Amino acid sequence: VTRAGARLAVGVMSRAHVHADGYIGLLAAAPDVDVFVADPDGAAGDPGRRDDGLPSGVTYLPDYDALLDRGLDGVIITSETAHHAALVELAAEAGTAILCEKPLATSAAEARAIASAIRRTGSPFMIAYPVRFMAGCQELSASVRAGQLGRLVSIRGTNNGRLPVHRPWFVDPALSGGGALFDHVVHVADLIEAIQPARPRSVTAVTNQILYRDTNPSSVETGGLVTITYDSGLVAAIDCSWSLPSTAPTWGGLTVHVTGTLGDSGVDPFRPRLRGIEAALGRAVELPYGDSGDPPLIADFLRMARFRESVQPDLGVALRTLGIVLAAVESDRTGRTVDVPDLG
Amino acid sequence: VTVRVGVVGAGVMGSVHLANLLALGCTVFVYSVTGAEDLSAGRAVVCRSYEELLESVDWVLIATPTDTHHGLARAALDAGRDLIVEKPLARTTAEAIDVMTAADAAGRQVWPGHVVRFFPEYRLLRDAVVENRLGELAVLRFTRAGNFPDRSPWFGDVRRSGGIVFDQMIHDLDIALWLAGPVTQVSAVGREDDSGPSPVHAAHVTLRHASGAISLVSGTWGAPQLPFLTSFAVAGTGGFLEHSSDRERTVSSYLAASTERDGRLPAPRAQDPYLDELRAFLDPPESPPVTGWDAVEAVRVAEAALQSLETGQPTELAP
Repeated sequence: VTRAGARLAVGVMSRAHVHADGYIGLLAAAPDVDVFVADPDGAAGDPGRRDDGLPSGVTYLPDYDALLDRGLDGVIITSETAHHAALVELAAEAGTAILCEKPLATSAAEARAIASAIRRTGSPFMIAYPVRFMAGCQELSASVRAGQLGRLVSIRGTNNGRLPVHRPWFVDPALSGGGALFDHVVHVADLIEAIQPARPRSVTAVTNQILYRDTNPSSVETGGLVTITYDSGLVAAIDCSWSLPSTAPTWGGLTVHVTGTLGDSGVDPFRPRLRGIEAALGRAVELPYGDSGDPPLIADFLRMARFRESVQPDLGVALRTLGIVLAAVESDRTGRTVDVPDLG
Repeated sequence: VTVRVGVVGAGVMGSVHLANLLALGCTVFVYSVTGAEDLSAGRAVVCRSYEELLESVDWVLIATPTDTHHGLARAALDAGRDLIVEKPLARTTAEAIDVMTAADAAGRQVWPGHVVRFFPEYRLLRDAVVENRLGELAVLRFTRAGNFPDRSPWFGDVRRSGGIVFDQMIHDLDIALWLAGPVTQVSAVGREDDSGPSPVHAAHVTLRHASGAISLVSGTWGAPQLPFLTSFAVAGTGGFLEHSSDRERTVSSYLAASTERDGRLPAPRAQDPYLDELRAFLDPPESPPVTGWDAVEAVRVAEAALQSLETGQPTELAP
């Protein structure tokens, strides 16, 4: 068991996900963490892949065996979603604490393999949902927990953005699972997990592929609307659409509004920004300055890795929120309301 | 000759319409089971029976509980009167169709009180869609919230009003139909929690349109301090438009004592959509913003949502 004061060894498995570099930067800036990165599936010469542009002090290793040989306290898995299961199994066998990028997996089979590996090895596990760590979301959670909203009746959430173009695999269902449902349902679903204890029971979803038709070769869903019924009777709706045009000034945002028996409260954590107009083109300029959920997320991950204690959001949250996505896919396909699958 | 209009019902909407009819120069008659004298306050002729009202007027404006619309409308049509009916047009699709079929057979006008089509933010949205500024519509999202309508017990009685889906959310269901066209599938989830000091009811309805577009309509009848709030976000291949009544307020005050907010109706506006609505109904333009058959379609979609709430499964709609 690692004790307070000792240096931590943390590895990053794959830089396929764009969030990897944000995490690497935070790890590299931590005074007591040695950082190791392996990205063997990245093509040599691709910007931001393999050892390209890593901060100084970060050690690049050629493959995952070499990485895990370093006796890591923790790893962050930021591969393509479809590769999470294999990497979680590797890391769990090595006995290290795991922070896995969202969503957990692309299928129920992969999710069950992950759950089984984590439970078999007892590896501390955390899913990377940074939004719940943002100050506005913490304030919403606190007011719900303090009973200021009474009993929760209804929640509506939006997570809208541009179609992610930075890495093409985001719109390749073999690697990402699908489109907007896989990318954007889980953040709001996690926030609902964070503020209240009821479990998701059934899901209804409708999707389409109208937006971004020309830059969506596999025709993954770009529009998606999901409703969820929780076992407390709470109902929720999530708009997960990639409904911001590619020319939008920023990536997008997320909102959650909660209705309770005593009052309503809403949070728009990405809202703070400067707004203006660029004279030459007449285009909107937006300069966001809101807080990031990444530093507190990484701080909790490092605490989990150091003390091997459980933190939130944990495996159960990861499984239930992915369960909502998989149920949404099934509902959209069949035109039926479907139960959230038990993923273990 | 002034237009003679008979207002039936002495609730909030009867009161709003009475004032606007007088402003338009109409001669107004009132009939209501209760409250007619108070509503009139000397401004209108109070009738002792519905029959008396029907004999006195050219137009009948029905602003009564929803489950009474059909019977009152049929009687007015049988008496040869033109009609303005508060939304929803009727409590069931069959009743709504019956009203419109009878009206068409008799050559009478029926205008439904889908007043949201007269609010400038929704008219501008519709104009932008018609002008193809948003391209092909993809995802539409609407919210509507206010405090629970406890002014009269029938609102909370789903058999009479149809509940929040029928009474409140039908506004945005109508707007979704107006913008994105016919609906092929309707799904709804809802929650009614009466455990607090005031009931709180909420629902979410998703729609698949025949065009391929999808819509989400969320409605809230919330805690007493909740003001009247609406929002929408509509995205298409050509861009998106969004609006939030909360964010577009013209006055922000931080006063010593908070002022009373009315969570039942939108805040008063210089250009009153309720007045515009009556003006358009009494003297219809060449292409009216809403028709009775539009109202039938809104009732049909709302009824499909109620069915989905009951079965727990989406409702398929024939085109």
